[in-house]
Order: sequence, then C-alpha cells, then structure tokens
Amino acid sequence: MNLRKLLNNLTLRAKFIIPISILLAASVTTISSYLLDRQADGFRKELEASGETRIRMLAHSAESGVIFENIYELEDILNTLAQFEDVQFASISDVENSILTEFGTEPAGLVVDHRFHSYDRDTDKCNDFYGNDINDEEFLEFNYPIETRKEEIGRENLGLTAGLEGGQYTTETVGHLRLILQLDKVQEAISDSMITATVITIVVVILTILGLAWFVGVITKPIKSLVEVTDQVSRGDFSKRAELKQQDEIGHLASTFNRMVDSLEQSRDEIEEYNRNLEQKIIERTLELEEIQQQLVQSEKLSAIGQLAAGVAHELNNPLGGILGYSQFTLEKLKKFKERENAPKDIDKFIRYLTDIETQARRCKTIVQNLLRFSRSSRTTDFEDVDINQVVEDTRTFVEHQLHMNNIELEVNLSESLPVIHGNGGQLQQVLTNLIINAMHASPADSIINVFTRYSPPLGEFSGAIEIIVADQGTGISPENLNKIFEPFFTTKMVGKGTGLGLSVSYGIIKDHGGEVKVDSVEGEGSTFVVVLPVKKESSESDTEDSSEIANRQEK
Amino acid sequence: MARILIVDNCEIIRNLLTDFLEELGHTVETAIHGQDGIDKALNNEYDAVFCDIHMPKKNGYQVYVEVSGKKAALPFIMTDSLPDDLANMAVSRGAHTCLSKPFTLEQVRTALSEIFIKDTADESR
Repeated sequence: MNLRKLLNNLTLRAKFIIPISILLAASVTTISSYLLDRQADGFRKELEASGETRIRMLAHSAESGVIFENIYELEDILNTLAQFEDVQFASISDVENSILTEFGTEPAGLVVDHRFHSYDRDTDKCNDFYGNDINDEEFLEFNYPIETRKEEIGRENLGLTAGLEGGQYTTETVGHLRLILQLDKVQEAISDSMITATVITIVVVILTILGLAWFVGVITKPIKSLVEVTDQVSRGDFSKRAELKQQDEIGHLASTFNRMVDSLEQSRDEIEEYNRNLEQKIIERTLELEEIQQQLVQSEKLSAIGQLAAGVAHELNNPLGGILGYSQFTLEKLKKFKERENAPKDIDKFIRYLTDIETQARRCKTIVQNLLRFSRSSRTTDFEDVDINQVVEDTRTFVEHQLHMNNIELEVNLSESLPVIHGNGGQLQQVLTNLIINAMHASPADSIINVFTRYSPPLGEFSGAIEIIVADQGTGISPENLNKIFEPFFTTKMVGKGTGLGLSVSYGIIKDHGGEVKVDSVEGEGSTFVVVLPVKKESSESDTEDSSEIANRQEK
Repeated sequence: MARILIVDNCEIIRNLLTDFLEELGHTVETAIHGQDGIDKALNNEYDAVFCDIHMPKKNGYQVYVEVSGKKAALPFIMTDSLPDDLANMAVSRGAHTCLSKPFTLEQVRTALSEIFIKDTADESR
C-alpha cells in the first residue's frame, strides 16, 4: 500500500525509469551470474580433462621406469611437466607407496582422502578432487595407478600391452602417480570474467537509464507542456494553446484540448459579452425610465398648471368683460358728448384714457384666451381633415419675409406620403409659426432653419404618426430651462419681446390633437422641436353627453 | 322696443348688459342664477334672453333646454367665460349664438340685430 502510494507520488519519468532500471539490473545480474557459473564449470571441466589426459600419459610412460625402478627415467618423465604452468606437484611411488621421484612442491596441509581418489577400473575414470592447502589456495589432485599387463595363456612379450582380440591378460598395479594442479589461473580467469560481466552490467544499466531518460523525456515533454497550458487554463488564462505538432495520441489529446479551450474561451467571451450587454441594457432602460418619469412629472405639472390657468381665466373673464364692456360703453357715450357744443374741455383726454383701458383690456383678453388654449379646454368641435404639408407651406409664406429680414434661410423638406389628420389647421399653423419664430429669435444671421415632415406608418398596436420637425442652429436651451419652456409665462426673451405663452399655447394645441411636442437641444449648437401628431382612424365622437354629467357642470 | 331677460350670476355682467341694453332702448330684467332664470323666463314674456353657462343651481344649458322646451320661439344668446362644449351644444340645439366673455359691445349689438331682423322678417312674412 505504501509502495503504491510512493509510486503514485513519483513523476512520470521516475515511474518509468526506476522500475525498468531495477528489473533490468536484476535480470542482467542474474543472466551474467548464470553465465559466469557456466563458465567456471567449463574451466574446471577443461582442467579436469587436461589433467586426466596428462596423468594417463605419464602413467603409461612411467610403467617401465617403475618396474625397473629406473629413477632417472622417471625424473625425466616428470620433468616434462615443467612445460605446464599449472602443475604444482607430481610424484611417482611404487606399489607400497614409497615415493620414487617427485616434481614441484607439495602444498602443505592439503587434505586428501585417498580412498576416493584411486582409479576406478570399471568406469576407466580417473577420480580427481579439489582441496585447499593451509593458505586456503585451491588445488586439484589426481591419483592414477601405474599398471602393467601380464599374458596368462601364452607367453607374451612384456612390452605388448595392447589387448589382442580374444587374448587373456591380467593387469597388475606396480606404482602410483599423483598430480596436483594449481587453480590460480582458473580463478583468475573466472574473476576476470566476473569483473567484465559486472562492468558490462553497470554500463548496460547506465546506458539503459540514460536511454530511458531520453526516451521518457520525449514522451513526457509534450505532456509537460500540455500540463502547463492546462494549469494556465485552470487559472482562467485562455491566451495559450498546447503547441504540439506530433500526430500521436498526445498530439491528438493536445488538439482536442485546444478545441476544448477554444470553445471554453468562446463561451466565456459570450458570457462576458452578454453581461456587458445586460449592463448596457440596464443602463439604457434606467435612462429611459428616468426620461419617462421626467416626462410624466412634466406633463402632470403642465396639466396642473393648465387647470389652474383655466380657473384663473374663468374668474378673470367676468371682471374683464365688465372692464372691456364699460370702457367701450363709456367711450361711445363720451364720443357722443364730444359732438355737443357744451362738451367739457378735457373730454379728449378722457377718451384717450378710456381707449387705453379698452386696448389693455383687449390685450388681457388675448392673454386669457391663450391661457385657456394651453389648458386644453379649447373647443375641438371645429376639427376637420388637415393636410400637414399644406399647413407647413402656409406657414412658410407667412414667416418667410420675417426670416428674410433677419438673413435666415428656411429649408423645407416635405414627405410626399403624408395622410391627412383630424385637427385644426389654423391652430397647427399657429404652433408651427410659433416654433419657427422662436427658432429665428435663437438663430444667428446667415444660419439655416430646417423644417421637414415625415410619416411613421402604424406598427402593431401603435397607430401611425406624422412628425413635424423644426431644427435650428441657434443658441440652444440650457438643461435647466429645458423642463420649463412649456410652462406659461416662462420666457428667456427680453421683456416685451414675448409673453411666455407661445410654447405653452402650442403645447395645449398639440395636446388637444392627442399629440406631443418633444425637444432636443444642445447649448451652442441648436435646438430641434418635434411635433408628433397621431393619425387616428375616424371615430365618431358622440355629440350628446350624459345629462347627469351636464347637470354637474354648473358653478358652485 | 324689446323685453330682454339677462340670466347671469355675475353682477358686473348683469349691470353692463342692463346699462347697455337700456341705453339701446330695451326693457331689461335680470335673474341671478339658473333656476331664477327658468322661473322668470317661463312666467313672463320676453323677446330675447342673455344666458350665462356657468351658474349655480342650474347651468345655462339646462336653462336653455328647459325654457326652449316650452317656449321654442324665444331666442337665446349664450354667454360663456370658459370655452365649453355646453355652449356649443346649446347653439347646436337652436340657441342663436354664443358670446365668449369678455365680449365687445359690437358683438352684443350684432347678435341683437340678427335676432330682431330675423324677427321682423318673420313678422313681415
């Protein structure tokens, strides 16, 4: 469990390299130690075989020397061993084991069990054995009998040892040969092989590790770069892509991942875009709502002012009737008196005073009538079909001279497809005149006033509307004044130049027509007034009113 | 000359019309509100009625409807201090005209002359 945990925590590279290296080292070591064992075995067997060959030959050669106890001959025989480096010791003894001659130095303390190391005639095998001397050096010892053959049936030549077919002979042991070989060379060869094998193993393992490291690097490098990009993406940074050109599974993974990041980025952008739009929409809607609220407040205010004006006008008309009537009445009488001979001297003065009173009373009458028009309670019975383009043309003829005197040009563009509307042409002309004269007062010399008409056809539940636009390049209206311009008696003109009723009367007239007046102005750049008049379908307005409602409309 | 009834709750208008019409030689009587006007118009004989629209108790339109229901030939001149459909309705039902206050003496004179020329024309027929 812990090993698995440990493995899980390793990097991909370590996961590849460590187990493979361990397995490789183990298998190479196993294989080479097996081969080494085989080699050592081979060496020993080779040594055993060569030792046996040599001792057989020696035994054969020594036969006569032993029989005849010819020591010199035997010495010569043993001396032939000098050519072999691995011979440590050799001896020839007679049948009683008395040593006749020897060669080399016998290793001290070599443990030998002769019982097992005599020649086995049945197998014709020369037994050998390994032993160690007191210095713990290893030796290989051979014992071999020196034999002679005797003819049993016929008399045979003693030198004839080769068995004749069918011939009978006995073998008699005449002495012993002992040969001890060094194992140094074998050990050396074995340890040489071991060193070589170890070096090869280490080199192979190191090379394998390096190769694996490179190979694993080739595999893990793209994964690493993929991991880096993944890391960035997980932190919300979609700017980078996995740049892998390879066509293998990792390349495929990278391109799939890139596509995923693409679509993620796109989704994120869409969401952000949607958020921005939403914010923008909220801002727009809020502004719209604020504007509508302002319009509501404005129209409520104007309607309240209208009601007030109507009340005031009603209360003023009676006394004004008295003033106007009596001044006229008295004036007529004074004029008659003047024709008499005994007329008072000051009568002309009185006539002038009363004329002034009458004139001013008439002026008051006009103001009150304008106030009443603003209050929307003017009569709507004299409405008829009106061609708005004709109204504009009539107005143009009416104001053109005045504009020309002020060096102001009037540009008129009329829509050709205007339907007629139900309204009062005279009143609409009054509105338009008022707007153009106001524009003229605000405009500098050599500027242009644009007047044009256009038609918005009905759309869904909205009925169609005609718009009359009057745009000037004049001084504009300050924002704080923009809400007040329709209020009665509000004026920015010099005292005596305007009553401050023009726009409020226009407003009342347009309200009577079911329309509205909109204004857009930038100080220093000019103002644009838009008169919107609805195009209603002919609806028969009932002339008869509810009698109870009529009864309610009496003075309290 | 003619007998004329003036129905108006406003004193200055009653006075003005009385003075002016008497100056012209007519006999004038006044009523101070709608009901007063109806009572007088129905109980006395007049040649013409000046009748205001906005009055207490009965408005001018009601006066006109009630009186003209019984005396269809009696000419009515409506007077009006505020543009109102009631005056138009009275005119459309047969009242002679409507004078918007403040009216001028010329308007009064014209309206009267129209009535009396019409009357004389009717008589002469």
